[in-house]
Amino acid sequence: MKKKKGFWHGMDVCVTYVLLFAVAFVFFFPCLWLILASFSKSGSIYSFDGFFPTEYSLASFRRLFTDTALYDYPQWFFNTLFVAAGSCVIGSFLVILTAYTMSRFEFKARKPLMKGTMVLGMFPSFMGMIAVYLLMTQFNMINSLWGLILIYSAGAPLQYLTQKGFFDTIPKAINEAARIDGATSFQIFTKINLPLSKPIIVYTALTSFTWPWSDFILPKLLLKKRELYTVAVGLMALDETEFARFAAGSVFIAVPIVILYFVLVKNMVNGMAQGAVKG
Amino acid sequence: MKDIFQRMKDGWKTSSKQVKLSMFIMGAGQFCYGKRAKGILFFLLELCILYYFFSRGFRDIAGFFTLGTTEADAWLGIEGDNSVIMLLMGIFAWIVLAVFITLYRLNIRDALRMQRRLEQGKQLESYRKELSRFLDKKFYVAALTLPVLGVLVFNVLPVVFMILIAFTNYGGDIVPPRLVDWVGLANFRKLLALSQFAPTFFRILGWNILWAVLSTALNYFAGLGLALLLEKDCVKGKAFFRAFPVLAYAIPGFITLLAFKFMFSYGGPINQLIVGNGGMAIGFLDLDAKWTARLIGLLVNCWISTPSIMLLATGILANRDKSLYEAAEIDGAGRWKQFSKLTLPFMLFSTLPVLISQFIGNFNNFGIFYFLRGGLYLDGYFLASDTDLLINWLYNLSIDNNYYCIGAAISIVIFIITSILSLAVYVKSPSYREEDTFQ
Repeated sequence: MKKKKGFWHGMDVCVTYVLLFAVAFVFFFPCLWLILASFSKSGSIYSFDGFFPTEYSLASFRRLFTDTALYDYPQWFFNTLFVAAGSCVIGSFLVILTAYTMSRFEFKARKPLMKGTMVLGMFPSFMGMIAVYLLMTQFNMINSLWGLILIYSAGAPLQYLTQKGFFDTIPKAINEAARIDGATSFQIFTKINLPLSKPIIVYTALTSFTWPWSDFILPKLLLKKRELYTVAVGLMALDETEFARFAAGSVFIAVPIVILYFVLVKNMVNGMAQGAVKG
Repeated sequence: MKDIFQRMKDGWKTSSKQVKLSMFIMGAGQFCYGKRAKGILFFLLELCILYYFFSRGFRDIAGFFTLGTTEADAWLGIEGDNSVIMLLMGIFAWIVLAVFITLYRLNIRDALRMQRRLEQGKQLESYRKELSRFLDKKFYVAALTLPVLGVLVFNVLPVVFMILIAFTNYGGDIVPPRLVDWVGLANFRKLLALSQFAPTFFRILGWNILWAVLSTALNYFAGLGLALLLEKDCVKGKAFFRAFPVLAYAIPGFITLLAFKFMFSYGGPINQLIVGNGGMAIGFLDLDAKWTARLIGLLVNCWISTPSIMLLATGILANRDKSLYEAAEIDGAGRWKQFSKLTLPFMLFSTLPVLISQFIGNFNNFGIFYFLRGGLYLDGYFLASDTDLLINWLYNLSIDNNYYCIGAAISIVIFIITSILSLAVYVKSPSYREEDTFQ
């Protein structure tokens, strides 16, 4: 059977590989372009020969960290890191807790809450931005990184569906067995379910870290002082003539995330797939 | 109605003196029953909330209805009312009121439970026991209090605020210190009928729907196709090929978008190559580049979103029932048959919720055209361009140009469209109706 199809099978393999290489090229080329641009010597996009710079050096990176008078990149970087880490810790905690509760407990308000969050999710994301801005002026939190963390983490539980889907797949029998053995709900959660849910915790932590890491609308609205900018806002303020600096800044901020993704991609796939099937 | 009244009367008769005390002063009953700390805690809570209401809460609620009565006048030195803050703090006061009522009920129920325990001749629960009950049976209350409060203040309150703004005349010239007023449905009439807004609205709406459908379909099938391609038995080095989409997935979206903008700009590499070969520079994202810009948007969005769909599809495809495919092979089903009759239905079933959220995400995809072609205002459009989606228009109107009430009305329209579409699909979907089948 297989032998008869020899030629077609060969063609099939060929076409598959051609397609795969094409896909790899399409995804890789823009990244390569950006990375090489960050090492360009002149810094301006106009001096490039086609896609790539004519001369290479580390000048852009050096300027990125030393020439901070107008564009204080190191400061922006630490601001971003602070906001992302803070929202990651608080936000993940709240999401996991919410998702677990919604998955495991039957109570009167459960269905209304689920429907409510769904409805809330359908409003355009920054519809309430103006109100958030006004609210923050009332709480005296304009120009405050903690204010950003507060908003990101407070909104995080709305995205509980994937995580709930994951918890739905852990058999309830485990909980009941533990309950018979006299464990309280709190113990069941921390001692039994949490260790089982590593993939989804990783997924949650990663998504709640990357969202503030790359968001620009909220910081742009709430941070009016240059030294409080996050990298996204700062890079947007860069000029077209500063292309190499933009590229260097982008590469520097993308690298940690990319490494994280590659290390954790297995967890991500598991968490996402299990959550989404039932999500 | 009468029933409730009767029950309240019965409840009043059977409750003890201490419970009655609790009905008037929070925590008084608990205090008399000997639970001093708890009683004082309840009482302090009540004091705080009452202090809030007397210092500003009642005024805020009144302000919610009037939206301010005295207009500021610099000549006379009158510091007028700020209608918008009044509206916001008015909503906040309603939320505090709701929390207060909940606490009050909690307090009475707590006192009642104490009464019952004593009537049954049991001891009152110790604090430690009460805490463990709270962490056990009432775990969901303990767990959800903080998330719900956060969402209430930072998500529900702003959304309610914007919904209400849609029914006022806030925006344009009428911003504080001028007084804002309730105007009913006037903004929606303007949006659908007034020559200033209506043509732009319907043009953008048409493109928006086209965009959402096209890009969702494109991303979905590209991601699924890629996953199937990588699944093939003949492919060696799957991890290697998978690394490239993951790389694209990992790069923050705004970087990708800005990079693509540079790539297609006048001085960008593509135009340099064209010029270098003797051609004319093309304004891919220029004023008159309607369809090229739209196409580029579609493809760039595909570049950004395909990897996540691919990862998801990879995970789900791994759970396929392989025996079905063997059976199909024996029955002589070709590859296309297998895909359309087995893979696709399975995938659609499993990912329907994701598909819906993708659709909504694309319908409201703000970033793509904000970065690629932001800030353009074209003829024939009111403060928008021909690639802008409703959400971009909303941003232009409300954040850049102060048309708050019209912006709010648009967001309500967006909400109505997306919610009707997705509720219809979602409620019918098996993954919602049969939520518990796999447990």
